[in-house]
Amino acid sequence: MKRSEDTNQFDGRTSDGLDSGGDLETKPDSVEDILRSDGGTVDSPFERTATVEETRRDRIDRKLKDYLWTPWSIMRNDWRAIVGVSILVVYLLIGTVGVYLIDPTHPTHGESLVGPFEDWSHPLGTDQSGQDILSMTVYSTVPILQMMGAGALFTIVLGTGFGLVSGYKGGMVDTVLSSITDVFINIPGLPLVIVLSVLLEPEHPALVGVLLAAAAWAGLARAIRSQVLTLRGEAFVEASRAMDVPTISLLRKEILPHLMPYIVVNLVNAARRIIFAAVALYFLGILPYSDANWGVMLESAYRAGAVYRPDAIHWLLVPMIAISGISIGLVLLGQSLDRVFNPRARARHERSDDGKGSEPESEPNTTNVTQM
Amino acid sequence: MTISESDASLVDSTGTDTIVELRDTSVSFGMDRGESRVLNEVNIDIERNEILGVIGESGSGKSMFASALLDAVPAPGTTTGDVIYHPEDGDPVDVTGLSKSELKQFRWEEISMVFQGAMSSFNPVRSVRTHFVETLSAHDYDVDAGIERAKDLLEDLYLEPERMLESYPHELSGGMKQRVLIALSLVLEPEMLVMDEPTAALDLLMQQSIISLLNEIQEKHDLTIVFITHDLPLVADLSDRLAVLYAFEFAEIGPADEILERPAHPYTRALLNATPNLSAPLEQMRPIEGESPDPVNIPPGCSYHPRCPLADEQCKSIDPGPYDAGDSRNHDVYCHHWEQSIDDLERAFTESNSDDSPATRNASHSDDAEPLVSLEDVEVQFGSENDGWLDFGESDVVTAVDGISFDIYENDVVVLVGESGCGKTTLGKTAVGLQRPTDGTIEYKDRDIWKGSSGSSTLEDEEIRRALQIVHQDPGSSLNSHQRVRSILSTPLNRWHPDLDGNDRRERILAMLEYVGISPPEDYIERYPHQLSGGEKQRVALIRAMLVNPDLILADEAVSALDVSLRVSIMDLMIELQDAFDTSFLSVSHDLSNARYLAEKTGGRIGVMYLGELVEIGSAEQIIQNPQHPYTQALRWATPELEQDDDPDENPIRTIDVPDQKNMPSGCRYHTRCPDARETCRTQKPELVDLSNEDGVQRTACFRVDDDHEYWDSEPITDDAVDGDEDDDHVNVSG
Repeated sequence: MKRSEDTNQFDGRTSDGLDSGGDLETKPDSVEDILRSDGGTVDSPFERTATVEETRRDRIDRKLKDYLWTPWSIMRNDWRAIVGVSILVVYLLIGTVGVYLIDPTHPTHGESLVGPFEDWSHPLGTDQSGQDILSMTVYSTVPILQMMGAGALFTIVLGTGFGLVSGYKGGMVDTVLSSITDVFINIPGLPLVIVLSVLLEPEHPALVGVLLAAAAWAGLARAIRSQVLTLRGEAFVEASRAMDVPTISLLRKEILPHLMPYIVVNLVNAARRIIFAAVALYFLGILPYSDANWGVMLESAYRAGAVYRPDAIHWLLVPMIAISGISIGLVLLGQSLDRVFNPRARARHERSDDGKGSEPESEPNTTNVTQM
Repeated sequence: MTISESDASLVDSTGTDTIVELRDTSVSFGMDRGESRVLNEVNIDIERNEILGVIGESGSGKSMFASALLDAVPAPGTTTGDVIYHPEDGDPVDVTGLSKSELKQFRWEEISMVFQGAMSSFNPVRSVRTHFVETLSAHDYDVDAGIERAKDLLEDLYLEPERMLESYPHELSGGMKQRVLIALSLVLEPEMLVMDEPTAALDLLMQQSIISLLNEIQEKHDLTIVFITHDLPLVADLSDRLAVLYAFEFAEIGPADEILERPAHPYTRALLNATPNLSAPLEQMRPIEGESPDPVNIPPGCSYHPRCPLADEQCKSIDPGPYDAGDSRNHDVYCHHWEQSIDDLERAFTESNSDDSPATRNASHSDDAEPLVSLEDVEVQFGSENDGWLDFGESDVVTAVDGISFDIYENDVVVLVGESGCGKTTLGKTAVGLQRPTDGTIEYKDRDIWKGSSGSSTLEDEEIRRALQIVHQDPGSSLNSHQRVRSILSTPLNRWHPDLDGNDRRERILAMLEYVGISPPEDYIERYPHQLSGGEKQRVALIRAMLVNPDLILADEAVSALDVSLRVSIMDLMIELQDAFDTSFLSVSHDLSNARYLAEKTGGRIGVMYLGELVEIGSAEQIIQNPQHPYTQALRWATPELEQDDDPDENPIRTIDVPDQKNMPSGCRYHTRCPDARETCRTQKPELVDLSNEDGVQRTACFRVDDDHEYWDSEPITDDAVDGDEDDDHVNVSG
């Protein structure tokens, strides 16, 4: 391979890399001779551009493939994902469509304490004041989902954000953010919620959700920070830094994917915690309420002595089943999402889809074994 | 079962006394993709009291061979065939048929094993004595007598027994741990020692010293040693016999000198040629084409035939049995064409090497050339100084780089060489602006690169940031495991060529992949890093750095983690890319042979570092052929050679352990280990002296190059005068 005789041309490229894309197409032939040892007429591989312009549609297709089709085709092979997603979809449908199909209830809507499956105008029976339990359960789904979503998102966004930035930036930023995190870790959660709920009297479910998550995000922030601390020393992060990739996209593209399994599990757990906490606090009568929800139902059933009365036991059971159901759905979803972020699972699913069996993928067990 | 030592010494070491016999031994793992054979019907007789060197690239089944000897293949692997152990007195034992309790007795008492990672072989919360006691009591040995024996063993390995036994693993250096581990494996007086890459994690000097110690230990304790390694030169000198593993089978087994001088198998020959070393001419070094086979799809017939230039129809269908090659009785080769391979070796290579490898060129520069990157008195410290305020501990500042100045020119290649911990990587990262120096300046084209930047990790000037790039050591971690090759290589294009759209980027990446020999690129572009081999990963990492159009690339041990047969090809690729892209390389290596290959082929320079200082820098020829600094000479000595040397030189260092970096020696830092040190060295610090002549550039920091220096009048330092060095385990290894 010959050295360039026309070094000036070459240096012009290296000192002006930002717009070299346009610059390079006007290269003299000598450069191509340097780059192609076969002396062919193909232009240099370092300057090649596509003949077809990328359309907006191409970009959208690529994003859809990465973020929707691939995860879905991994998940559809996993029964946990199927069951988990189905359960959550049912709850979502109840919360969105269900409220239009089922009429709201009111006291003396029906007989007092009708048993379930006795009277088909009240399929799940009624409570002591004659309110329809099915209707109450359906209408409770909306605030519970709002509460859950708001609280879980709040936990994850705040926790991940604080953890990522303080772990990656280090120094003064880390000190300040970590101190804030520590303060929230050390505030006792339950008393804080009680005090805040007395002060704010939150009525909107989303606000309740955020309130319940007020102290929960800090632990996640700590955990994420410690993981980022190990990741930022990795070679690929250093290489990205050397390429001057902006910090935001470095965090998003290089570091966040490694944390996704952990974040997703936390998202799901946070959602479950919010529901449990909300139900418990409504049950204890700490949170103010105007509409019925599962916690409120449990509380009034308990106060009416449903624990001792066989004829009122469904009043207690229905909200309990509703709570357990959504919790199981979330757990199953969380477990199956773990695989979506595993590059090995992604690669495997693709191969089985395309029917390409020739890739010499090194399975984890053989690599360990042969290099021991 | 105890073995009396007196009997063992009676056995004639040259006899044909077999200690372990393997017959059609296979190890296989069931996997989704089919059965994976990681050891494929091997036959070998290991003779009593020999040192057998087993050589293989990574993934050739060499570790499975070791595990099979002890029937210690991890589940779910299964061992089939016979492994027969012949005790000194008594009937042969079929190892694979032993019960659990028999196996427990067999392992360690008859055959013991030293694993690769000395660091992870110890329990960090237990003292070394506890490790010995546990081992002894688990095998129902007399603990007191055992400890006495352990002390003798440690003494033999030039360690202080009392101090070692009371230490915790973290208090020992890597070399000490490895020696303690050897003592631990010998404490139950085994007949045979299996060592799996025992020196892989150690420095050159330490490696060489341990090899010498093994020789002594073997003689003293009448051991049979199986030494498994990927590093051919390392065992060349040590072994009586060599066995070459390729694709889970033995390719050649024979006496070491015969294999080295007249290798009969084409693979052995190719491996010898692919191994960078100090003495062979550069033109002789050439990579092996192709890649090792997948354990699930071992090619039929001779497993080497897809890469072998001599292969014909017979090789494709018939598995070659052992042929007797050479003069001696026990030289077996598994190749149909071994005679042709011996006689006609040149023909065997010309076919596969018709392409033009980049010719040696001269990257040296005239003195008045403008430096591209210029380092001036660069100093990097880690840790915090004791500021006396709520800080009662010791000051724990480690000076990794201490006042180094040198220039890198355009199209230049500089290779930094040194032991681990000498600051070569830190210096390299400082030079490319990834580590902020605590003192001194780095200038890129006469501009201070850290000017105007506030943080410790980012450069303010975009152009300078673009100009300085890095390629990392471990291909496993240099690529983000969650991104496809496409997105990994898009990152630099997105940042530096925002005018390219997605299709352009794709085309550019495909073209680059093809250029570096990854084909078909359409297949690879959608892969994740775990679907690439080590060499492919390193190629992708190289392209990623190149796509930024840098002026200087730091190649941090870029080939150390690769197989021997791949190193030359990756280094050739680096040289080729350097030509095409007009960049400079700053390379970091602990291996003098790799450094020589890269620097000599490009006409670059080699810089030798010791404890944060540059002790010698010069052209490759000068540093290799005519080293002036005693430390460079020591490194040169420690680099294993392919030839069997019956009369090795005297060990040129006084102590193999590096001084504590928190407490640097005064004067010349090398004086604690230097064989030529005199009193002057203890007090005065030598400066780099220019010794350049028509043979090449060379600058050396040693008083000995100045004939008129007062050094010549001062008293030599004798070993007992060395007091600054508190660990006095001086090893005078000779042979």
